Amino acid sequence: MSKVITDKKRLFAFILLGWVLLIFSDRVGELTQYRGAFVATYALAIASIILLTGYSGQLSLGHSALMAVGAYAGALTINNLKLHPVVGLIAAALVAGVFGLVFGYAAARLSGPYLAGTTLALAVSLPTIANQFPILGGEQGLLFDVGAPPTRLGEEFSQYQWFFWISCLSALIMIWLLVNLLNSRYGREFRALRDNPIAAQLAGINTGLQKAMAFGLSAGIAGLSGGLLVMLISGVSPSAFPLSLSFLLLAGAVITGVYGLGGVMIGGVILVAIPEIAESIAIALGGSEGFTISLPDFMVGSLVILTVLFTPYGIGGQLHKLKHHKH
Amino acid sequence: MIRNSRAKRFSVVSTAVIAAALTLSTLPAQAADPGVTASEIKLGYSGPLTGSAGLVYGKLPGGMKAYFDHINANGGVYGRKINLIIKDDKYLPTLAATQTTNLVLRDNVFALVGALGTPTHTKAYVAASLAKKNVPDLFVNTGFSGFANKSKYPTAFMVLPSYAMEAKIIAKFIKDTPALAPQASFLIAQDDEFGVDGINGFKLGGHTFTAAPTLYPQNGLSAALAEGALTKLSAVPGKPILILFGTTDTTATILKAAEKLNLVSKFTWLAGSVGGDANTLLALGVKPATINGALAASFFPDAKDSTDPYVSEFLKINAKYNKGVSFDNTVLQGMNSAMLTVQALRAAGKNLTRAGVMKAIESKGASFASAGLVPLNYSATSRVGYNGYWFGQLNEKGELKPYGGKLAVFTTDSSSTEAPTASTYVRKTVPKNGVPTNS
Repeated sequence: MSKVITDKKRLFAFILLGWVLLIFSDRVGELTQYRGAFVATYALAIASIILLTGYSGQLSLGHSALMAVGAYAGALTINNLKLHPVVGLIAAALVAGVFGLVFGYAAARLSGPYLAGTTLALAVSLPTIANQFPILGGEQGLLFDVGAPPTRLGEEFSQYQWFFWISCLSALIMIWLLVNLLNSRYGREFRALRDNPIAAQLAGINTGLQKAMAFGLSAGIAGLSGGLLVMLISGVSPSAFPLSLSFLLLAGAVITGVYGLGGVMIGGVILVAIPEIAESIAIALGGSEGFTISLPDFMVGSLVILTVLFTPYGIGGQLHKLKHHKH
Repeated sequence: MIRNSRAKRFSVVSTAVIAAALTLSTLPAQAADPGVTASEIKLGYSGPLTGSAGLVYGKLPGGMKAYFDHINANGGVYGRKINLIIKDDKYLPTLAATQTTNLVLRDNVFALVGALGTPTHTKAYVAASLAKKNVPDLFVNTGFSGFANKSKYPTAFMVLPSYAMEAKIIAKFIKDTPALAPQASFLIAQDDEFGVDGINGFKLGGHTFTAAPTLYPQNGLSAALAEGALTKLSAVPGKPILILFGTTDTTATILKAAEKLNLVSKFTWLAGSVGGDANTLLALGVKPATINGALAASFFPDAKDSTDPYVSEFLKINAKYNKGVSFDNTVLQGMNSAMLTVQALRAAGKNLTRAGVMKAIESKGASFASAGLVPLNYSATSRVGYNGYWFGQLNEKGELKPYGGKLAVFTTDSSSTEAPTASTYVRKTVPKNGVPTNS
């Protein structure tokens, strides 16, 4: 009974958040809408890493490649199959999910640095592979166009607001599903797997299958965020998914806290805000070109170190602690 | 009494409002477009400053800024100083999209100028809604002929000749040169719009290669791959022509591979204009003896030729406003784009608007003073900038001298099978002190 009440409260909280975001998008300018869309996209990508690393105990350094799989699948669905962009985004999640499931099944025997190395190899090789198939458009890539906002939303409704709506709605639905999943039997099995695989096996959990499932789910969410990312830049190409993106998202997950989804939106905000803050600091302080260019990476690195030192469970952990203290 | 006082107050307020409205309506119309004030014109640039592409093209915005500083020191454009805001996109599409959007929405630039990079700028153009917001995208520094498509990129103006034009003219050059015509020929090209545009140009020019082109992704040609490709081609008898249709860093990788394999003299090297910048090749470690005799296409004067009036003027500006930066083709290109921009802003008149600038380039752009040795092709129906090339031969110092000792310029288009034609174009005299006075 209490579970039903919790589920209803959670659904209500997500609907409320969606409504707040809807109102917010109407009150802010185009630039904030555009940045907000990036925040939602990165939050989704961070959530996929938290699911994989924080809940199932697997480390991926190649999430940018999984995002690329989703992005290409979405673009091909829209461009070649001439299907609706919404179908394109669903295809992005599904195809990346299936890819992740197969990859996760193959890599199920690996763990720790060996799995990290394999996913790293995936991230390094996938963009190069994309260049080998003419259907993927080579270095120039493919168009990813979700089209103009519906006219019934009015003339004032901008393209950026449309992006904001699509990204936030996708992120909210996906994260709501994910939270529900993690509070179900599957979530408990993932955590058992993370904490002690042998004990989990003794308890009757098929660890190989669960690992592959976690990888597939994580890849599906990453694929959707990849689709959203290329929607925001209007096209998909190999260079849109550099290795540095994987590291940036992993850093975002550490700052957010890998053991909970509570801080993903804040993680997304940090990833979007850091380059802006770094630029303002660089302008205020002056300094060489090298300083200006290295500052964002330096800030992300420093934040990761500070997080590990002072709040190892990240922002999500802190939020959870605050909530716990209240009760 | 109260009623009377209210009525009095109402009549005073309404009179004041009407008077204010009449006063405001008689003021001169202010430019409604963002980025222009009575004292400033804000322009934006997004391109690679770091990474491998930044290594080669990072000097471009510095060249533009130096030229704008020179103009600002000489009174600006009708009294308005030009403020160029420069952003690094690291040649990554996501960064290009966000940086360009920031330039338009946050920095409120009047126009973009000199944007560089085909795979990045094609995405940035759409993401930043340049077409919808009517933001002029001036003198795009890429030879991708697609940017001349007015219906797809309604605010873009190309400056470089297209890669297809270049390929057509290379095809004609090989056909017309007795020492080259009978030799086997091969193409090593970048696998994007750059290479694809080029391959289409060779087809239009009627040139058939001895084997299918070797294509590689941008930044994807390693030394080992280059050595493998050269070893394979070295088995071809005679002195095959090797056309390198890529960026300068890739040309350097291939030439250094040839040095290592002792195959430099085995081939006739022919580098496209993008990858044939001798200064950069030498800076990237290619031996002077290797580039000696290599053929290269260009539409500019040689950046090392200080007797050229434009180069001479730009050299002075570079020494004063771009201190410590060596002058090369990239700096020349930057300054030339900036000079064209100043003329476009002047041609639009004192009441500067975005639509006015674009109209001015369409109607007067073909007559702008420019360092190019080939004509500019702007008109109401054409967004193409330069439309031709000349061929030169590099020497050990990295100087590009006209092939056969005589400058021969050819012009053509990007889409027809018509052969390139010899041009009699005589460029305009360089403006005094490098400061345009057109209107």
